[in-house]
Amino acid sequence: MKQANDIKFNIYNPVITYEHRAAFDQIVSQLQEIFPICNHGKCKALEVSDDPQKQKQINDLMEKVEFFSNSLITITRVFFDQLYRAKEGSSQSIARSTAMIKTAMIERNLLERTCDVRWWALEKAFSECITLSNNSSTGIKNVNNKSQDEKLQETKNKTLDPELKTSVEFACRRLEDIRNSYTLYRDLVIVNLNGIVVANSNENRRNAVIGVKVSDEDWFKRALKTKDGTEYYVQDISSSKLEGVDSLIYSTAIRSNGNEQGEVIGVMGVLFDFQGESQIILNDYLPQDSNASTLDGWYSFFTNLNGIVISSSDEYAFPSGSMVQLPNKHWSLNSSGEIFTSTTVIRGKRSLVVSSKSEGFDEYKGLGWISHLILPESAMFERSNDKNNYGISPQELMNSKLIPDLNKETYKKIQQNKGDIQLISINGIILATDLGKAGTSFIPIFDQITATGNSTTGTMEGLLSEMSSDMLEQNLKALENFSKQAIDLIDRNLFERAADVRWWSTDHVFWEGLMENSNEKYDDASKRLGIINASYTMYRDLIVADLNGRIVASSKSVNRDKLKRMNVSEHSWFKQGIQIARSVEFGIQDVSNSDLENNDTSLIYCGAIIENGAREGKAIGVLGILFDWEALAVPILNGVLPRINDQKVEGGAAFYVNSKNIIIATTADEIFKVGAHVDLPEKNLNLEPGEAASGVFELNDKRYIIGSSKTQGYREYKGLVWSAHVVRPME
Amino acid sequence: MLYSTFYLDDKLMGLPIPSILEIGRSFKIHPVKGAPNVIDGLINLRGKVVTIINLGLAFDVEKVEPTEESRIYILKNNSELKKVEDSDFVLQTSPDNIGIHVSRIADVINVEKDGLNPVPANINHPFYKYVARFNDEFITILEPSNMLNLNEQ
Repeated sequence: MKQANDIKFNIYNPVITYEHRAAFDQIVSQLQEIFPICNHGKCKALEVSDDPQKQKQINDLMEKVEFFSNSLITITRVFFDQLYRAKEGSSQSIARSTAMIKTAMIERNLLERTCDVRWWALEKAFSECITLSNNSSTGIKNVNNKSQDEKLQETKNKTLDPELKTSVEFACRRLEDIRNSYTLYRDLVIVNLNGIVVANSNENRRNAVIGVKVSDEDWFKRALKTKDGTEYYVQDISSSKLEGVDSLIYSTAIRSNGNEQGEVIGVMGVLFDFQGESQIILNDYLPQDSNASTLDGWYSFFTNLNGIVISSSDEYAFPSGSMVQLPNKHWSLNSSGEIFTSTTVIRGKRSLVVSSKSEGFDEYKGLGWISHLILPESAMFERSNDKNNYGISPQELMNSKLIPDLNKETYKKIQQNKGDIQLISINGIILATDLGKAGTSFIPIFDQITATGNSTTGTMEGLLSEMSSDMLEQNLKALENFSKQAIDLIDRNLFERAADVRWWSTDHVFWEGLMENSNEKYDDASKRLGIINASYTMYRDLIVADLNGRIVASSKSVNRDKLKRMNVSEHSWFKQGIQIARSVEFGIQDVSNSDLENNDTSLIYCGAIIENGAREGKAIGVLGILFDWEALAVPILNGVLPRINDQKVEGGAAFYVNSKNIIIATTADEIFKVGAHVDLPEKNLNLEPGEAASGVFELNDKRYIIGSSKTQGYREYKGLVWSAHVVRPME
Repeated sequence: MLYSTFYLDDKLMGLPIPSILEIGRSFKIHPVKGAPNVIDGLINLRGKVVTIINLGLAFDVEKVEPTEESRIYILKNNSELKKVEDSDFVLQTSPDNIGIHVSRIADVINVEKDGLNPVPANINHPFYKYVARFNDEFITILEPSNMLNLNEQ
């Protein structure tokens, strides 16, 4: 048993609730009343019997009672400590995983951005436009030192040669197409070798941006130095002449003829809407009141390598651009993936501060940002209002795997002490009875001892069952949190796939091929698909089908002959795609078996290839992209498996379920099998978009706790009505 | 008279306090080969050899297993019992001390003499001595001597 000085949460700790302090006082004062009773008993022993052996027996009994009372007082202290430690532990682990998920989300997003910029820089329209601009003597002029009016005048009077003008217009158009497909960018620019912006994507900013000289900006200089098309540069949040707000700019070189190995002829820069994106991430997972404002004392923000706040859920408390007001250790974490937790006073409230350094994602090493989550200490020890016991007795709960062994030991110890006191009392009564009439005066003493023992242990049992139901609630909350992470990560990824398919369907090689309908052009299309598939590792195959559902091009040469004999006109993805008349739309075929692939299940995105590459018009074919869904889903699911102290809980599982309640990906194929209809409680399956639920259910005579979240979509991507579920066995 | 009550499954039973020598939780029981199966074995109680009867097996229900809650009643032998004065009824046990292994003990209760009823004839069982009403419950008061006699048959 722990010594008193190991106790972290003693009864004077401000986090201990009033009710608990009252219960503690009651237990201790009752136990302390036992000591005078025992003294009384010892005195009585001398009165009622002359037999020294009997006197000793009574004395021994009284001393035993004193011993167990003392022991119960100690246990009570330890017990309160454990109760609060348990709450602290599970609250902290939820807070840590929440801080971590925020870096994971931003990192995954930034990784996608690096793929994007490298791929777009290869677009022929851009290299052609830049080549013309570099060669033109009457080209676009630097307008940096001119007023807005002068700039406008300049643009109007521009005497661009007609070929360059057409080329710039086309480049702008293609940049607009990208921005329409990928809504995460504020602007995209291409810059010639002199550092002058030649074309941009944002029409509203065009006059202000074209002609601006950025040759002294880091993102431009570093992009010029990239060795080949695989390299890129990210400029951490800083000011740029391109925007009034701080920008996060991804850049890479534009190379001659759009060739990855070509000579550097210019730079492409993409201005990621970091502020918009991080607001979504930061405000997520923060509890709100009924007016949808974040609860007082909860903050979430990112800092960069220098401890400067780069985005914040509360610009008043932690303004962007300021040095973060936290103990140094929180913003100077060294190694990636490191987490530091402390309790400190934030804006007048004792708060838990969790800081988690990003560890990068895949090849993307990240910018060393740190995600901070702050919550009031009182929130960690709050009792949940939800008093649902899910039909589980406190005894069952106490014995379940949800309760840490340490707490179980305390419970056992309390039970033992209760048993000991009861036994001593009865033996005392037996002894008193043997003393005959003289002994009857002892009986009230032992009755009192029994009553005190029963009452104190009864109070403690009540507290224990309160603790175990709190632990259940917190575990359920953690699983809900994990399931939300799982669905959010997948939604964000699927959004990217939706953006990819929309953009690629506009590629000139495809619509030209379909319009010309020649084998030569189809070979070009296959080559193009092959290049895409090589740069984006998450696709199994990419295919183009003509109006009749005949496959005319595919990315993988191995499967090409087989595919070319196939007709996909009855496939859901094709039927969806051929109905599309606008390049900003897309379709999805939910995870299912597809004869396009051999044994795997596919998730297929489709976009219409529109006549003449128009933004709106008649579909002349469909681009289908077969996403390697399991390769994405299973690692995410593994990442959200329930853990205790970073160790996976035995028997824990996570899985995704589609709209038909069929499991589409899983970490536990023996129990929650892919393709099987899942049998879960109604309230876990019938969720509204963005809603989460938790509960207890039984499967194969085994009881599980479960947390579930329904997709809430992300930006234009509305989701496929999927849900994520994380379970943990109770026994 | 005071009775110490205990449970066999969920049935409440009682023994008169004066017939009990002491109640313990952790005696080391030595099993004896060849003994009737209702006997768990022998214990050494400060030099005395005491036979332990498993109450579950004696009633032909599930065996009482040693657990956190199980207890052993050590009953007085006849000569120890004689020293006790003021009995509501004539107590008898046996010439030797015996122990009874029960699954869980409950409260000590006081039942006046007129609260004791004879066991109804149709449920007469050799171990039963009285049926006592206590609050809303019936408690069967055991006759310890018969338990040992039965085993000797």
